[in-house]
This record gives sequence, C-alpha cells and structure tokens, in this order.
Amino acid sequence: MSPAAPTARIAGYGTLVVAAAIVLVPVVWIIAGGFRTQISLLMGEVLFRPILANFREVLLSSASDFLLNYRNSMIVGVASTALCVSAATLAAWSLERLGWSPWVKHLFLGWALLFQMIPPIALAGAWFTMARTVGLENTLTGLVLAHATLNLPMAVWLMTVFVRDVPNELVEAARIDGASGSKLFFSIVLPIITPGLAATTVLCFVFSWNEFSAALNLTNKASATVPVAIAKFAQDYEIQYTQMAASAALSIVPALVLLLIGQRYIVRGLTNGALK
Amino acid sequence: MTTLGAVGAPTTPARAKRAADDDRLWRWTSFGPALLLTLAIGTLPLLNLFVTSFFTVSWSGGRSTWTPVGLANYAQLPSDPLLQAGITNTTIFAFSAVVSQMVLGFLLALLVSRIPRGQILFRAIFILPILIPGIVIGAIWQLLLNLDFGLVNQLLGLVGLGPHDWLGDPRTALLSVIVVDIWHWTPFCFLLLLAGIESLPEDVFEASKMDGASALQELWNITLPLMLPTILVTLAFRLVLAFKVFDEVFLLTGGGPGTATEVISFTIYQRFFSEDRVGYGSAMSVVVIFVISLLLVLALSSRRWATPR
Amino acid sequence: MGLLNITRRNALIGLGATALATRTGFAFAQASQPPITIVINQSPWFASFQATVERYQSETGNVVNLDVNPFDGLLEKQRNSVRAAQGEYDILILNSGWFAEMYFGGFLTAISDIEPGFSLDPNLFTLGNTIYFDPETKTMTPAGKLMTMPIQPNVPLLYYRGDLYEQHGLKVAQTFDDLLNNAKALHNPPEMYGIVQRGARGANAVSYDFYPYLFGMGGALFRDQAAGDYTVVLDNAEGNAALDYYITLAREAGHPQTASQDQAQVIQAMVTGRSGHASLVVAAWSQMDDPDKSAVVDKVEFAPTPHAPGLPPGPPLGHWLGGISHNVPDDRKRAAVEFFRWFQTRDAQMATLEAGGIPLNASIYEDESLTTQRRYRWMPALSAALPHAINAYGFPEGPEVVAVLEVGLNRAIAGEIPVPDALNSMAADVRAIMEKYGYSTG
Repeated sequence: MSPAAPTARIAGYGTLVVAAAIVLVPVVWIIAGGFRTQISLLMGEVLFRPILANFREVLLSSASDFLLNYRNSMIVGVASTALCVSAATLAAWSLERLGWSPWVKHLFLGWALLFQMIPPIALAGAWFTMARTVGLENTLTGLVLAHATLNLPMAVWLMTVFVRDVPNELVEAARIDGASGSKLFFSIVLPIITPGLAATTVLCFVFSWNEFSAALNLTNKASATVPVAIAKFAQDYEIQYTQMAASAALSIVPALVLLLIGQRYIVRGLTNGALK
Repeated sequence: MTTLGAVGAPTTPARAKRAADDDRLWRWTSFGPALLLTLAIGTLPLLNLFVTSFFTVSWSGGRSTWTPVGLANYAQLPSDPLLQAGITNTTIFAFSAVVSQMVLGFLLALLVSRIPRGQILFRAIFILPILIPGIVIGAIWQLLLNLDFGLVNQLLGLVGLGPHDWLGDPRTALLSVIVVDIWHWTPFCFLLLLAGIESLPEDVFEASKMDGASALQELWNITLPLMLPTILVTLAFRLVLAFKVFDEVFLLTGGGPGTATEVISFTIYQRFFSEDRVGYGSAMSVVVIFVISLLLVLALSSRRWATPR
Repeated sequence: MGLLNITRRNALIGLGATALATRTGFAFAQASQPPITIVINQSPWFASFQATVERYQSETGNVVNLDVNPFDGLLEKQRNSVRAAQGEYDILILNSGWFAEMYFGGFLTAISDIEPGFSLDPNLFTLGNTIYFDPETKTMTPAGKLMTMPIQPNVPLLYYRGDLYEQHGLKVAQTFDDLLNNAKALHNPPEMYGIVQRGARGANAVSYDFYPYLFGMGGALFRDQAAGDYTVVLDNAEGNAALDYYITLAREAGHPQTASQDQAQVIQAMVTGRSGHASLVVAAWSQMDDPDKSAVVDKVEFAPTPHAPGLPPGPPLGHWLGGISHNVPDDRKRAAVEFFRWFQTRDAQMATLEAGGIPLNASIYEDESLTTQRRYRWMPALSAALPHAINAYGFPEGPEVVAVLEVGLNRAIAGEIPVPDALNSMAADVRAIMEKYGYSTG
C-alpha cells in the first residue's frame, strides 16, 4: 500500500500510541502485582520494592501444582486447537465449495451457533456425565475433546468466511490442471487462507488456555489446568491478589509466544502471490 | 463473492468426472471430523437442556425424581425479578460493549495494517488483554476502580477530579463493567478484522488507486463491503460471548449494587446451579438461546441485502 | 510412582506411633485402612487441615488423598460425585451454604449408620447441632443421626483496632450501643471509617453480615426451624430494629458506599488501617498479622459480635462439615470414620492449632497457656461466641432464600427502598418460597 500523507501518518501513529498505553497500563499493573506484597497492592502504592515471593510460592510451594497445571494446559491447548482448527477448516471448505446442499450447510452452522450459546454450567455438568460413562473423566483426552468441540462453532464460522475469499478462478484453474480433492485443498487453498487460519488458531488456543468451567468439571488434581489453579487464589475469605497476578503473568507467556509466531502469518500478499 | 455451495463452472467432461468422484469422497472426509465431534460431544448437552426444561428434578435418598411439569417452568419466567434485570442489563451491556469493540477493533486493525513500521509491536500489544483469564481481569480491575485506593481514582486526582466509586454507584456500575469488557475483548475484534483486512485481494485497491479514489472512498466503497462477511461473523460471535459474560462481572460487582449489573448468565447460574433448579434454569437457558438466535439470524441475514455486486 | 513404597514407609512410621495411639485411647487399626480421598477447597485454613491430615498419615499409615479445588467449583465437583452411580470422593468437606442439600438429598451416609457405637468427643463443638440430622422429621437435633464431623468452626467476630481503642480510652463493645459509640469515636472519613460493613449483594454477602445484628437483637428469619415452624418473622419489630440499626451505623460511622462493600473490600479496609471495626469470619484473622498482607500487624483485637442488653450474641454459622459420601464402598466409608475418630481428638486438634488453624475441641480453649499468647488472642472471643452460633438455613432451599435477602437488604442499605417496605417484601417472597416447597409457614 502506498504511504499515506505525513499528517495522516502522524495522526495514525498518535492514535496507536494512545491506544497502546490504555492497553498496557492495566497489563503492566497486573504483572507488577506479581512482584509486590499484597498490602502494597491493596494500598494502591505506585512505587514499590519488587519481591519474588509470589512467583516462588506459585511455582515452588508444596501446595502448588503449577508446573503440572502448566504442562496440562499446554497439552490440552495445543491438541485441542490442532483438532479443532483442522476439523473446522476442512469442514468450512467442504461446506462452502464441495456442493453440499444449502440445507446441510445452514443446519450445521445454525446448530453450531446454538451450541455456542449453552450456558457453561449446563454444558459442564452434561459433559461430566458423558465423560464418566466412557471413562474419560479426569483425563486430558476428555478435556481435549471438550475444548475442541467448544471452540469448533467459532472456528467453523470464521473459516467459512475466510474460505469464501478464495478466488474461484484460482480453484478452477487448478482443477483444469488436474488437481482435485485433497490436493487442491492443501496446495492451493491452504496457502491463501493462512491469515485467517492463523487468527483462528490463535483465538482457539487462547480460549482453550483460559477455559475454566469444563476444565474444572472434567479434571482432577493430576489433570487440572492453569485457570483452575488460578481460580484457587479467589478464596472464600481471601483473594490472594498478588499470587493470582503472578500466576496470570506466568500464564500469559506461552499464549504470547504462540501469538507472536502465529501472527507472522497474518500478513498480506499470500493471496496475490498465488494469483499471479 | 461466490454463491453458496457452487462447485464452479463446467470444465472438460472427463476431467470433471474424475474430479467429481474424488470430491465425493473428499467432501465426506473433509466434513466428517467436524460433524462427528459436534454430533458425538455436542448433541447431548443441548438435547438434555431442552428436555430438562419440561421437568422438575428433585433428589432424595441419593436418587433423582423427574416430574414432568409441562410448560410450568416457562410460565414462571416472566415474573422472575432477577431475570428481568438480567435481560435489560445484558442487552445494554452486550450492544454497547460489542459495538464499541467492533469500531475500535476495526479502527486499530486498519491503522496497524497501514503503518510501515512497528506492526509486530502494536499487534502484540493490542492482543494482550485476551490472554489474561477473566477471573484475574475481574479481581484486578476491581482494585483499579476501588474508591479509596484505586489507580483510576489516583490518576483522576492528578487532574483535579474527585474520587468516584465507579463500581459502587448504581449509575456508573454497568458503565464501568462495559468499559472493562471493551478493554478485555477489543483484541478479539482487532485480531479477526486484521486477518480479514490482510486477506483482501490487493489488485482491487490498486485499481481504485488508479481511479484516484480518496482514502475514505476506498474504505467505504471497497474495504467495508469486502470485509462485510468477516465483520458480521466477528460481530455474531462477540455478541454470543457478550451475552454469556460471567467471570469478569463475578469479581467486579457480583451483580450489584442492587441488580444494577445483574447479567443473564448470573441469573442462570443462580437458578440452575446455586438453587439447583435445573428444570427452571434450563427453561431460562432455552429461552435465552432462542432470543439470541433470533437476533443473530436478523443480523446475519442482513448480509443477503448488504452483499455488494 | 512409588506410591506403594510411600505407603509402606508411612506404615512403619505408623507402627512407631502405635504406642501414642493407644495412650490417647483409640484403637490402632492393625493393618492399614484403604486409601480415601477428601474433596476440599483452597482457603486460608487449608494449610492447617493439610498439616493435620499429614499427621494422621504418619501416625496411622493410612493414606488420605486431598483433592483441592477453587472455592467456586467445590460444590460442582461434589454434586458430580454424589450424583454418579459410583462416587469419586469418600469425604466431602461441606460449606454451611450447602450441607443441608446433602442431608436432605440422601447423599451422605451417617457416621452413626456406618458405626452405630461411634462416640463423639464430649468437648467437640457441635455447631448449632448441625452435625445431626433426623431424616424423618427433617430437623437438625441431637436426637437424629450423627451425619458429619465438624471441620472448621467459622463464625464472624468483631474485629477492632486495639491500639486506637487505647488511644481513645474505649472499652470493648458488648452491646450495639457500645459499638455505635465506639465506631463514631474512631470515625474520621475518608482517612478512617468507624466501621466498614459488608453491604454488597453477592452469593451470601450482605445477609451474612446482617445476621449478627438480627440475631443479636433477638430477631430471626423463621419462628422455630428446629421445631419445623417456618413462619417468617423477618419483618417483626426486632427485624425492623436490626435493619434500622445496621443502616444508622453505616450512615453515622460507616463507609459512604456501604452498599457496594463486599468481604474483599472490608478486609482491605481493615488491613490498610482505614477501618476501626469490621465483622469478619474468624478464618480471616491470620491476614491481620501477616506483614506481607497487613499494615496493622498486632493492632487488631477480637470480640464476639455485639448483642442487645440481656441477650447473647448471635453469630451466624459459616462453618464447614465433613460428610461421608453414600456411593462409595463400605471399606472406604469405614476408613473415613477412622479418620474422623482421630480428627476429633484433642491431639489432632492441637496439631490443627499449631499449623495455624482453628481447633474444634473446647478443651483447647480452656488452656490458659495458649489463650494468653498474642497469636492466639482470638481464641477467647471465639469460644465465647461458638455456643451461641446459629445456623441460618436448616433446609436445602437456602440459596433461594439468600437470593431474595441479598437483593432486598442491599437495596434498603443503598436507600432505594424504606426499611419496613424492604422487610415486608422480603418476608413475603421468603414465605412464598417456603410455601412452594411445602414447609409449614403458620
């Protein structure tokens, strides 16, 4: 895109910097909360002497399983996202371009939306019963399936939109060249929808990473995930703000890394390259 | 835009037939996994919710008794005082928060997509809030907005404005919750709309440049229409998520003061879970799902008349 | 995992403890009991419970697993387990908010059904007799079965700033008039509020904060729950006096936004030194003396909540009980009883105290070598309050009643509706709920 006029560019940067500040101050406040004593946080002190006790408590205390929770969250996040996004992308392509009747398509998409609206409390209870029946309660497999299903509606809907942007001319050209079925999908379609795929992947991972209700119901001590661990700091007679902040700071890291990797693919140009 | 479900124009017969055979297997293998997941894991909860809404479930001797009550659970709904407050607040909350998030998210995505330098940095920053678990957002923002010690009131104090009890004053409680939600969820819209912008075909823009269109004309005539599907789907899912808001509000206000920030998901949690009235709570859920679906159908079908060309 | 090895090692330690065990008067299980699992929530008192359980394991060799959950989530896990064909947890740690649901629903096996001769330590606090339940009359009286073991005797105490009392020459508040006067004497907003009350609407917030006033003035929600008389008396003269007083206290010596203060804010006001008084559960005491959490270390003192002249204090129970799940194998039920038999002893309760917990055995509170120590200064107040502790809801529909009270009380405190109207409409709503479920409402 050609560079905008200088004044417009300055205004643009100015807006972005202000927005970034509004986003960053509370985030920094939360992360900083992990480095201070509870009384310092409660007193609203702006300057404080940093301590590491909260991180030590979260990571190393005998009562804490944080590293185990971390590992579980990572497994569930990666596996459920992989399952969900691949199923969703394939389904989106299938529904959009492989000649399903509009009825099938709309029924499925509509059903997915309905499913997305079930209150978590009702969903989790039903899922516990189901997991128990097939012996998947307290296993990571059960939670992976649950999270994949939970995020599937959103992923299918989003991928449907992104798949729709694949130029028809391109598909036809490839077809004439003899590409069909899976080959067409993997070699032609996938590269074009990469930006949307990356954004959807990031969102699915983040949603799985932060999901509480299903994770609570379907896991036990050995399979609990990070959000369940973090919720333990909101106690009946005491909210342990600083430990909560420390664990939140730790919990941001993997999601952020994935995001930084993922968003390198949310870039323009891939479509053009394919077209020419 | 392509039409729904069209495979495309006919090609040479032999090739077309082979492709069609391949496609027939492929269309099932591609749709199969998603269909299987939804049917196997997603059907029972929804069905269960619907069926339960016609029963009263009670427990004694460790066993449950299901008493069919017809539509009685539904009949009770209109007189539920919490539900009334919940519907009003959730509607106000969802629409104002989501519209703001869409506008802000689109604006930021547009700006970020156009700057030559610093894209990566700004993208990383703008995405940060959704990485934080809702319960932490609630706990920390409640401290930030606190009357006696909160950072927000400290900052206001610097510019000479008196402290205000943002969450405690019924007039500003819902507004504060909305602002926190905007802060938390704008990244969702930003991320998706940015992906939408980045996957627009560039040749259209080049053509419009050659026609000498201004930036505003370009936005209005090209970017927005092309982005419409992305915008609508983002809007739809943000709306659904906003109607389900729970974690943040739980620690921010707990629904108070009074019922100033009571949201539907609280009412459902209260009736369905805390009071263990699963029949009544299910009826409430079914109605809420029905109403939101109706709203979404209206919103999404706008695509039909708004689609360009 | 060397689970077996650990068990064997613990068993050896257990053998070493046999002598001690016989001396304290209970039979040591000749072999190990099967392992049991306790489902519990993370809390300020969890560490002390964990330490007590560890002591049990090393003394007996019996394995006890703890499944620790967030407070918001414990009931979900327990319902999942007791409603399944086969339970996952043997012992459920039940909150005052939902133990009645477990009694009435038949989700527990009574201790006295597993072992008819089980003898309760006579010094144990029975917490408003909530450990008993008669399934026939659906009431909680010692005539019923022994259902549960008390785990955590939580009631509110009056927290006050001893250092400021000394400065102002105040005497410990006993009556409501004392409290109002003392709070006024310390009231100097916005630097210092005389008292910060928990007036916010929550899951069980303002109603729990209001009960010490209601009960302490001789009021009640129902006429006589123990006798099955659920006539609503919330809106009688005592009820009106209590709510009037609560609001007066807030207006004259309280926080300007009492209607939005929840427990977190009340504790925050107390530990930051902004409040002269607070009515807080005893379990919160440890936060007051922790230098990382408090700016008023060693300055907070404790007393029973105030009362009207001639009446006892009326602290509402916010306690925790341990019950044995109905759908687990018999040998694990017996193992759970063995744990309870040990847990109620003075020795076990001393272990709880030493680990920072709150003991349930009255004999410990009579030991002056303990109660005169600064770090145990809450003990006299608690032992004075506990015999008067009142269970607010002896029926499973409590959460429905709470929801009505939370909104009504909160609105009255916020000034949205006058006191008599608020009480009348709450009473009417509560009456409707009780009638709906077939309770006798007079």
